[in-house]
Amino acid sequence: MTAGMVKTDKLGYAYRQEDEHLALDGVDLSIANGEYLLVCGASGSGKSTLCRTFNGLIPHFYGGRLHGEVRIAGKPTSKHSVADLFAQVGMVFQNPETQLFNSSVDREIAFGLESLGFPRANIQERISATAQILNISALLGRNPQELSGGEQQLVAIAAMLAIGPQLLVLDEPYANLDPVSVRQVRAALKVIHQRGIGVVISEHRLPYTVPDVQRMVALQGGRVVLDGPPEQLLVQDVEPFGLELPLPVLAGRRLGLPRLPLSVEALQTRDVVSPLPSDLQTVPPVFHSDGADIVLEVERVSFDLKGFPILHDISFTLRQGESLAIVGANGAGKTVLLKHLNGLHRPTRGQVRVKGKDTGQVKVSQLARQVGIAFQNPNSQFFKMTVWDEILVGPKALGFCDEAWLRELVRLFRLEPLLKRPPYRLSDGEKKRVAFAAALAHRPAILALDEPTSGQDWHFRSILGALLAELRAQGQAILLVTHDLSFAEEHAHRWLLLANGQVVAEGSPWKVMSDKAAMESAHLEPTDSFRLFSADERTLADPVQPRGGRHV
Amino acid sequence: MFDPRTKLFLAMGYAVLIAASARLGWSLAEAAVLLLFIAVIGKTRLYLRWLRMALPMSLFFGAVVWWTADVRIAALAALKLLTLVSVFFVFFSVTLPEDLGNALVQIGMPHIVAFVVSTSLQFVPTIGRRIRNVLDAQRARGIPLEPGWSALRHYPAFLGPILIQSFQMAEALAEAMEARGFGRPGRTFLKDYRMRTRDWLAISFGLLALIVCLLGMRGWG
Repeated sequence: MTAGMVKTDKLGYAYRQEDEHLALDGVDLSIANGEYLLVCGASGSGKSTLCRTFNGLIPHFYGGRLHGEVRIAGKPTSKHSVADLFAQVGMVFQNPETQLFNSSVDREIAFGLESLGFPRANIQERISATAQILNISALLGRNPQELSGGEQQLVAIAAMLAIGPQLLVLDEPYANLDPVSVRQVRAALKVIHQRGIGVVISEHRLPYTVPDVQRMVALQGGRVVLDGPPEQLLVQDVEPFGLELPLPVLAGRRLGLPRLPLSVEALQTRDVVSPLPSDLQTVPPVFHSDGADIVLEVERVSFDLKGFPILHDISFTLRQGESLAIVGANGAGKTVLLKHLNGLHRPTRGQVRVKGKDTGQVKVSQLARQVGIAFQNPNSQFFKMTVWDEILVGPKALGFCDEAWLRELVRLFRLEPLLKRPPYRLSDGEKKRVAFAAALAHRPAILALDEPTSGQDWHFRSILGALLAELRAQGQAILLVTHDLSFAEEHAHRWLLLANGQVVAEGSPWKVMSDKAAMESAHLEPTDSFRLFSADERTLADPVQPRGGRHV
Repeated sequence: MFDPRTKLFLAMGYAVLIAASARLGWSLAEAAVLLLFIAVIGKTRLYLRWLRMALPMSLFFGAVVWWTADVRIAALAALKLLTLVSVFFVFFSVTLPEDLGNALVQIGMPHIVAFVVSTSLQFVPTIGRRIRNVLDAQRARGIPLEPGWSALRHYPAFLGPILIQSFQMAEALAEAMEARGFGRPGRTFLKDYRMRTRDWLAISFGLLALIVCLLGMRGWG
């Protein structure tokens, strides 16, 4: 290993002086110059905490209790402030919205250089050079708050890159992004690494990261439990660490390949003679519609906002016990469509009927009785002092309280240990579970979840998956709004693929994914499972026959 | 075109004039000049949208005055308030918040203070978006937060999430700024804020016009 960029020595950290719980516990790690490193682990494993020790935010910004030592290029962070360290270690955060604070992209990129006292001409030069590397020159005059999530992350990266750091640290940069944006940012990070700059990325979804990095470190309970190149480490199971093995890796292991393939492409370039083990394939659930009541009919709905067409001629139905996923990239109109179900938006043309009744004139607070929606950010709704009170909000407002059902919900969503705690103090995954339970508390005919898996780890996804299966079995109609295609493939009977406010494909997950033109127009790629297993006879089979069944 | 400090000075001058006007005729004339100016700089549509918020506020203020004084004074008060806030609408529609902040730093205001002002202005749209999200989320749960008096009864459902989110946002923002060297001494600026001849001329003419108008008003009054 060459000269060390980062060296931690028995690093331990607690967020508060009096805390016994250590967020980091005896971390010994050295990162070489120019290395591309993945820090992974389940939620709460200490990934973000570790990242924040590299530029001195911990301990200088957060306070708390630090043991051991972190050295950046030989300098101990305890003796150097963030203002000293940020020129060497650039930090990009998870939420694009709250890390950009200037009125234009060029000023955003200039900010760090201004802090360092660069002369004006020099700043200008660096802005254009950086924008060129990241291919964002066209954005320089735009307001960062009006960009897409992916563009915002690129701007945040540019703002750090312009300073000329030796190391770029990114804390879950993909968490709020759709697959299109993830591809953009991944490509940018590759370019940065090729220029000799070290990259540390924290993330829990391995398929997005292991093909790119040279080395991975897994954390659990603030300790390093794995450390090495991915193709060597992934021969063992990582589920105990709250991680999910990428499908190509699993397939490679089962096929006994000598070097593990880390991506679908890597697996496909190998000459594999034996067929892939079929039990690795994700098979969408099948819905038997016979006789199930239609709970929702969306008929030729179009929606204009301030004269701009947002949704165009959308029709679909949803039956009891059926799970429908509205999939598409960010900005395709998914959430706008969702808000039509309970009257938060009213169609400009067309009709939405819930249980056969036109929703046109009905108030939102009345429609809420039949449609339970949990939006993406649970922080938008918590205002009670305990989780239990929070769950009771809906039933009280709507005058419908079924105690047996509430007890059932607490069991289903595993909320028993959380009931007396303040909701806004929970972890992100726990908050989501509370929000989902709250949406179901008054037993609505339709449960709609907006990006339920965004930013969530494997553990949360598997709990949510089991829960949705149970709800489906009970006859609950479910609407998933998501860009997480692998989750939607596993948990929806049927997909509605949206692009630019229009339905471009519809049917079983496999049928939609096999429509190449539609997927391209939606800027989405099929899931790994579909890409590996898709064969003609499979893609032709469409297990659902749901359309035009209003008279059934 | 002009330095942000010049714009600020001119806006202040006009505000003084508006405040000093004691007759409905004067106030009407000032409002008319301002409307003309808004039309000339091409901000009419933006202004009309903004009026939907500012007009009810001014009318409410007028109603309060009417209750304690007479209708003439009330009309004058409402008009003056509306014109006064409109001046600052114009100012902020032609000045980027951080331009103002940076220019103020260069004339000696502490960087931190200037930044608090400009950043909070910068985040008005973000907060607006979050407020809409909170309203949507709560209405989706059956809380009747439809616009109107009844919504006031449910204010905790609205205020709680907004406050918590504002704190979270402030913390994340502070962290991001810290990570880019905010508060480090020896800061330079991408944009050059320099008072040019045209700035001094604009200020001189503005000052002259203000004095003439104020004297004129005294003469008439």
